[in-house]
Amino acid sequence: MPRGMTPRARLVLFALAGLCVLPGVMHVALHMPQFGAHPLPYGDAINAAAPGERHLTNMVSAVNFDYRGFNTLGEEFMLLCAVTGVTVLLRGQRGEGRSAEPGVTPGRPIPPRSDGVVLICHLGGPVILLFGLYVALHAMTTPGGGFQGGVIIASGALLLFLGDGYDGWHRMIRSEAMDACEGAGAALYAACGFASVLLDLPFLQDFLPLGALGDLFSGGLMLIENAGVTLAVGGGFAVVFGKFLEETRIIPEAYKP
Amino acid sequence: MSVLLSALFLLTAVSGTGVALSRTPRQQVLAMAVNGMVLALLFMALQAPDVAFAEVAVGTVALPLLFLVVLASTKMDRSPRGGDP
Repeated sequence: MPRGMTPRARLVLFALAGLCVLPGVMHVALHMPQFGAHPLPYGDAINAAAPGERHLTNMVSAVNFDYRGFNTLGEEFMLLCAVTGVTVLLRGQRGEGRSAEPGVTPGRPIPPRSDGVVLICHLGGPVILLFGLYVALHAMTTPGGGFQGGVIIASGALLLFLGDGYDGWHRMIRSEAMDACEGAGAALYAACGFASVLLDLPFLQDFLPLGALGDLFSGGLMLIENAGVTLAVGGGFAVVFGKFLEETRIIPEAYKP
Repeated sequence: MSVLLSALFLLTAVSGTGVALSRTPRQQVLAMAVNGMVLALLFMALQAPDVAFAEVAVGTVALPLLFLVVLASTKMDRSPRGGDP
C-alpha cells in the first residue's frame, strides 16, 4: 500500500473508478447477443465445409490443424518456450543435482502413504493414461485431440507421484525422455509444414490421403500434426511437473549459490 | 435456458466468489480447483467438450498442483541434512 493510502481512500478511489467504468459495462451488457445466439458465420461455414473438404467429424480439429494450422504451430512453440523457461529458471535455482530426500516443514511430520491412496493411484493411473491416449487418438472423429490428450496423459502420470512418491515418479518418468518428447513433438509439427513446402504446396497443406469420413485414421497430414501436439503437450507438462516436484526436495550439498 | 444451465451458472458464480473470498493461499488453491471443475461441467453442458477436457486437466490438476508445490516449497527447509541451514 502506498504511503498515506487508508482503507477509506481506497474505497473512494474504487467508487470513482467504478463510476467511470460503469457506463461502458452497462453498454456492453445491454448489447450482448442473446444467450445461445451465434451471429458470426465462421462456425456454420466450417460445419458445412469440413466434413466434405477434410473428411473430419471433429470440426475443432479441422480448425486447429488445417484451416488455422499455422496458429497451432505458434502455440506449439509458445509451449516450448514456456517449458524451456521453467526448466532454465528452476535449474538455475538448484543446480543439476537430484536429491530424492524431501524437504521438511518445521512442525509438520511426513506421514507414510495410506494403502488406499496407493491402491487408487495404481488403479486410476493406467485408466487415465489409457483415456488420454483414447482422446488423443480420436482427435479427428470425436471431441478432444492432441492438447487435451497430452494434458490428460501427463495428469495420469502425476498419479505416480501421488501413489509412489518422488522416487516412483523419477523411476518411471525419465526427464531426458520427456525433454525429447517435447522437442520432437514441436519439431514434428513444424516438419509437417515444411514437408508441404517441399512438395511445392502452401505451408501445412494436406498432401496425404484423407481417408473415409468418421474413420479413426482419417484426416491425412492432420494425424501426424496431432501426434506431434500430443508428444509436445504430454512431454511438456511432464517436464514442468517434474521440475516443480524437484522444488520440494532437499537442495543438494554440492550446489553453491 | 434449462434448469441444468441455470444451476451451473449459479454454481459458477458461487464458486468464483468463493475463490475471491478465500483468505489463505491454500484455501484459495482448492477453491480455484473447485471453480475449474464447475467451469468444466458448464462447458460440457454448453456442448463444448473439447474445452471441458482441457479445463478439467489444466484447471483442476495442473494449476492447483503447481500452486501447492510453490506454497509447500516456500514453507520448507530445503537445506542439506546435517549442514548449516
